[in-house]
Amino acid sequence: MTAELPEAARPWSLQARLAWRLAGVTLLAVALAGAAVGWRAIVAVNSLEDAALQTQARAIGRHLSVAPDGAARLDLPPELDAAYRYSHGDDLYVVLDAGGRVVAASSAEALSRLAPFLPAQPGLFSTGPDRQLYGLMTTDGAFRIVVAQGARHRDVLVDSLMQEFLVAGLWLLALIGVTAVVVGAVTLRRGLRPLSAASRAAAAIGPERPGDRVPLAGLPNELRPLVQAINGALDRLARALDVQRRFTADAAHELRTPLAVLTARLDLLSGEGIDAMRGDLDRMNRLVEQLLKIAQLEGLPLDVTQSVDLHAVAVEAISLLAPLAIRQRIELVLAEGAGSVIVRGNRPALVAALVNLVENAMAQSPPGAAVEVEIGADGTIRVLDRGPGVAEPERADIFRRFRRGRGSRAAGAGLGLAIVSEIAAAHRGSVAVGGRPGGGAVFALHLGTARPA
Amino acid sequence: MRLLTIEDESELAGLIAKAFGAAGFAVDTAGSLAAAEETIAVMSYDAVILDLSLGDGDGLALLRRWRARGASVPILILTARDGLDDRVVGLDAGADDYVLKPFHMPELISRIRALLRRPNAALGLRLELGNLVFETEHRQVTVAGRVLRLSVREMALIELLLRRAGRVVTREAIESSLYGFDAELGSNAVEVLVHRLRRKLQEAEAALQIHTLRGVGYLLADGP
Repeated sequence: MTAELPEAARPWSLQARLAWRLAGVTLLAVALAGAAVGWRAIVAVNSLEDAALQTQARAIGRHLSVAPDGAARLDLPPELDAAYRYSHGDDLYVVLDAGGRVVAASSAEALSRLAPFLPAQPGLFSTGPDRQLYGLMTTDGAFRIVVAQGARHRDVLVDSLMQEFLVAGLWLLALIGVTAVVVGAVTLRRGLRPLSAASRAAAAIGPERPGDRVPLAGLPNELRPLVQAINGALDRLARALDVQRRFTADAAHELRTPLAVLTARLDLLSGEGIDAMRGDLDRMNRLVEQLLKIAQLEGLPLDVTQSVDLHAVAVEAISLLAPLAIRQRIELVLAEGAGSVIVRGNRPALVAALVNLVENAMAQSPPGAAVEVEIGADGTIRVLDRGPGVAEPERADIFRRFRRGRGSRAAGAGLGLAIVSEIAAAHRGSVAVGGRPGGGAVFALHLGTARPA
Repeated sequence: MRLLTIEDESELAGLIAKAFGAAGFAVDTAGSLAAAEETIAVMSYDAVILDLSLGDGDGLALLRRWRARGASVPILILTARDGLDDRVVGLDAGADDYVLKPFHMPELISRIRALLRRPNAALGLRLELGNLVFETEHRQVTVAGRVLRLSVREMALIELLLRRAGRVVTREAIESSLYGFDAELGSNAVEVLVHRLRRKLQEAEAALQIHTLRGVGYLLADGP
């Protein structure tokens, strides 16, 4: 009975799910915003640097001149030259002539760093094993001018932009995210609060209160259809139950009325054979009674929520059977014991069960014998007789319908013990029979509902 | 003794009337709630036998109406209706007894007689069982015509048992009826009292017996 629930049937919490998802969405938003800002920062820095590189290339072009002998030379103004020289290799340039010969370079080191990566076509490029150089090649007449910067430049810029975003933007986003999660959880909790009231109301609905319905008051619109559907199902069940109840009552009425007329008619007669007929009719009446009781127990749920004193149940059952017991010269005894034993159950049903057990014991007892009823403090009712007892192999069988396991003296139809079993089951209990030291049988009716009422 | 039978099965009503007539009762029958209301408006009855399922409504409603009006007439429900709870509902509604159909006529007659013996029934009453007669008005018990001398407590006990003859009277009922709630009782006071009464009945050769139901109570029945 402990099979794994399929994934879809596993219980889950709307609150937890909403909180997790909101948190996830917030994190994703932060990440996306971060990425977007970062990308924008990089693009902005790039375009800034592109412009800077163009300016540098143009500046170098302006100071490029060709001597009459055809030799090219670069005469940078001293401040520009100093800027390149003291950039620690972060800004560098190389000028090549049409033949690919180096006309000028910011330094020998710059030449060696750029040489392996010199592009064939003009345009932007980035080079180096870690793209640590970012450069531009332009053409100026027959010359090719290559200017480049170390990546450190860009990193510093991007870093400062990102940092600004992180400090100013991220905590704001985080605040919004946390607020969303908290507001979501609180709204959900508040919104679902009427649901626990509805759950309590639903839990109280049972055979004893079939008219109650789950209240709609205060429920959010999303939950109303569910509760209305549940109430509709309860209505249909109540109607079905009512039809069943009426049918059982009608059947009882229709069966008992002609039997009552026949019994009354026979009681007014006397003569040969009448007593035998009376006996036959009594058996018939009894069978009808028991069949009706079985139908009733099967068809209708029994309200087992009443507070019942088992001592009072025993007194009532014994009182009902006392006249019969006196006629049969059988002594009925209620054992002195626990006094009141209060359980949850259905008093008329428990009385009926005990009457059947005692009747059964009386049918097995020789005249002069005693039938004892004991009430255990644990809510067990025992009926002890000094009859022939029940043979071991028959013990499970005698609680089934139409089984008359205990010899032929029993006049009943074999339904009495089945009724007891049925009533025990309705109380989430059981009935069993055992042997009794010194001869006889012990029937024990244990109630599953036997807890302090 | 005048009896009203409210029963819509005319055949059964006729049989009841015949049997009670033979037992010395005057019996009127009503076949519906309306007829019952009309009858009770003009006649007064010592007891009523009430069927619950009548053509024009529920007998329980009639019962509740009468009780609400303060009618104290003993009412016995005679019904084919037996949900496990119906008996409780009927008694709660103010019925004095509840007999399920089918029933034996002698049983019904003795249950009606038992109702008439109840304290709230007629006052000056002659309770009879076997060869014993108890005149409630003169507080006198005779067995086979001879006066039986009893103590006040013994007298109260025999009256209690007689009024519920054929049925169990619990020990608690005897204790509270004979001694009141406050009295300091020996644990076996009732046993001693019953024992004394039994001996006196035996010596007077009364044709009735106090049966003991150990742990429950006592039952007075005729017979040796």
